[in-house]
Amino acid sequence: MLEIRGLTKRYGAVTALDGASFTARRGRLVGFLGPNGAGKTTTMRCIFGLATPDSGEVRWDDAPIDAATRLRFGYMPEQRGLYPRMRVADQLAYFGQHHGLSARDARARGMAWLERFGLADRAKSKLEDLSHGNQQRVQLATALVHDPELLVLDEPFSGLDPIGIQTMTDVLRERAEQGVGVVFSSHQLDLVEDVCEDVVIISRGRVVAAGGIDELKAASGRRHLEVEVAGSGGRWLDGTNHHTVVDRDGDRVKLLVDESADLDTLLAAAEAAGEVRRFSYEPPRLSELFMEAVQAPQPAKPEAGQ
Amino acid sequence: MRAARSIRLVALREIMERGRSRGYLLSLLFTLLLLGAGFVLPSLLLNDQARKIALVEPTPAGLQQAVEQTADAYGVDVVVSTLPDQAAAETAVRDDQVAAALVVPADLSGPGVLIVHQSARSDVQAIATGAVQALRAAGVQQLLTPPQVTALEPPSASDTTALIFANAGIILMFIGIFSYGTWVLTGVVEEKQSRVVEVVLSTVRPRDLLMGKVLGIGLLALFQLAVLVGAGLIAVQITGRLALPPTTVGAVVQLLAWFILGFALYSTTMGFLGSLASRVEDASNASMPVTMTATACYLASILLVTQDPDGLLARVMTFFPPSAPMVVPLRTALGAIEPWEVVLSIALMLVAIWALFVVGARVYAGAVLQVGSRMRIRDAWRARS
Repeated sequence: MLEIRGLTKRYGAVTALDGASFTARRGRLVGFLGPNGAGKTTTMRCIFGLATPDSGEVRWDDAPIDAATRLRFGYMPEQRGLYPRMRVADQLAYFGQHHGLSARDARARGMAWLERFGLADRAKSKLEDLSHGNQQRVQLATALVHDPELLVLDEPFSGLDPIGIQTMTDVLRERAEQGVGVVFSSHQLDLVEDVCEDVVIISRGRVVAAGGIDELKAASGRRHLEVEVAGSGGRWLDGTNHHTVVDRDGDRVKLLVDESADLDTLLAAAEAAGEVRRFSYEPPRLSELFMEAVQAPQPAKPEAGQ
Repeated sequence: MRAARSIRLVALREIMERGRSRGYLLSLLFTLLLLGAGFVLPSLLLNDQARKIALVEPTPAGLQQAVEQTADAYGVDVVVSTLPDQAAAETAVRDDQVAAALVVPADLSGPGVLIVHQSARSDVQAIATGAVQALRAAGVQQLLTPPQVTALEPPSASDTTALIFANAGIILMFIGIFSYGTWVLTGVVEEKQSRVVEVVLSTVRPRDLLMGKVLGIGLLALFQLAVLVGAGLIAVQITGRLALPPTTVGAVVQLLAWFILGFALYSTTMGFLGSLASRVEDASNASMPVTMTATACYLASILLVTQDPDGLLARVMTFFPPSAPMVVPLRTALGAIEPWEVVLSIALMLVAIWALFVVGARVYAGAVLQVGSRMRIRDAWRARS
C-alpha cells in the first residue's frame, strides 16, 4: 500500500502541496485527479525522490521509502521522454538495468514487452523513427520492464488513440490484478470512471476527496432523475419541490434531486399526469463529484495554488 | 555499491551510444588521415630523394659497392661521396651537405662510426649497418657489431623538437577538452530537452548521472587521444622524420594524465552549466565562461609560457587549476619544472575537481528538472529538488 502522509512542498512563494494525504492500495486502480497546478505532478515527483517535500512522508508497504524501494517502482512522467537516437531494445535494457536487473534479464524482459505491444520488429529502430503512438508504448514498456510493485503514471492516456487507450487500460488492469499498486493522473474523468475503482481528488495542494468511486457517489447527496410522462409537457412538475430542473425537452425532464426528496411523491405526481414512460434514478457522474469537490470553498489560504 | 553501478551503467551507455556514432568513428578516421597526411605522405615523397652518404678515407676496399648494394636492397637511392678526413666529414654533416658520414677502419678491425648531425635517419643507419656487416662477414672477422652512431648535436629537451611536441600536446589537449567537453554539455541539455532525465533520475542520483556521463565521454576522448598520440609516435619512428627527444615517454604519460585531469575539471563544469539551459541552442551561452577561461589559458600557454617556461607567469599558471593541464605538460616537455611543482599542481587540481563536482552536482540537481528560461546558478543551487 502506498501512503502519502501530509506532504507539503513550497517553491518560493508558491505552495504546490499543502499537507496532501491519501493511500493507494495494491490491486486497485487509483485515479489521481485534480485541476492543473493542483499538485499531482509534484506528489509523483515526491514519490520518486525527484522533489524533496518540506514535510510529510511517503510510505510503501508500511515502511518509509528510500532509493532502494524506488527501484521497485515504475514511473511514467507527464512529459514523455526517452533517448531519441537510442535503439528501442537498448533503451528498455538500459532502464531495466537501472532498476537492478541483469543486462541479459533486462534485455529479455524488454523484448517480451515489445512483443506484447507488437513492436518486436522495431526493436533495433531508433526511438525517433517510431510513430508517436509507438513511442508512447515504448515509454510504457520502460515503466514496466522491471515488473514494478507500484506503477505511477502521469497522464498516461493523454494523446492516445482509442486502440492505445484500450492497450493501456488492459495493461493497467492486468498489473492491478497481479497485486501491483497503480496510481495514475488524468483529466479524462469519464475514462477514469470506467477504469478505476478508487479516486483521489486533489485541489490546491490538498486532497479534497478520496475513496472508492461507488462509495463517493453514495456519499454524495446528488441524484439524477430522468422522467418522461406522455403528453405532459413536463407540467406535472409544478408544485413539487426538493429538486432542480437541469433540462426540459418536451415530455422529458431531467432533474437533480436532493437526498431529502421523496421519490414516491414525485412518482405519484408523474403518474397522475399521464403514462410514465421513463423514471430513472441515477447516481452522479464522477465529473460532477469532481467539480463539487474542487469548487467547494476551502479554508482561506491566499498564497495557495499555482 | 549502488552509486558505482549507476555510474557504470550511465558511462557504458555513453560509450556504446556515442562510440558507435558516425561522428566519433569519423573523427577517429579523420585523426588517422591527418596523421597520414602530416607524416607518412611527405616521407614517402621525400624517400624519392637520394640519401647522401659520405665515406671517410681511408676506406676498406669495396665499401662503396657494399653501401650501394645494401641501399639497393632497401630500395633507397643513395649518392655516395668520399671525403678526405674526419674533420671534412664533420663539417659536411654539420652543414647538412650529407645525411651521414661513415668512418670504417680500412682493415675492418672494428665496425666504425656513423657521424650524423642530430640523429640518424633509420634508413641511413640500416644501410650503413648492412654494408659494414656485409664487408666484415665476407672477411675473416665474423663480427656483426653495427657502426656506432655519433651525433654531432644530439637533440636536447630544450630543442625545437621538444617544443614542437609540447605545442602539439597542448593543442591536442585543448581540442580534446573542447570537443568532448561539448559532448557533455550538449548531452546534458539533450537529456533535459527530451525530458528523459526525469525517467533516469527516478532511479539514478543526479550526481551519479553527471559523473557517469563525464566518465563515459572522457574514456572515449582518452581513447581517441591515445590513438592519435600512439599513431603519431609510430609514424615518427617509422618515417624517421623527427627525432624524438629523450623526454618523450614521460611527456606522453604526463600529457594523458593531465588530459584526464583537465577533462574532468572542464567537462564537469560544462555539464552543470549545461543543466541551466533548457535548449541545445542556449547551451553555448551557458558554457561561455568556461570557453573564455579555457581559451585564455590556452593562448597564454602557447604564446607566453613557451617563451619563458621558468617565469613568474608560468609558475602562477602551474598552480591555477584551469590552466595547469596546459602549462604543466608544456613545462615538463621543455624540462623546465620541478617535481614538487608537478605534485602540488596535481594536488590542487584534484581539490578543484572535487569542489567543482560537489557544487556542480548540486546545481545540476537543482536545475536539470526545471524547464523554461535559462536558470541562474544561484537559483539552481537553492532549488535543489
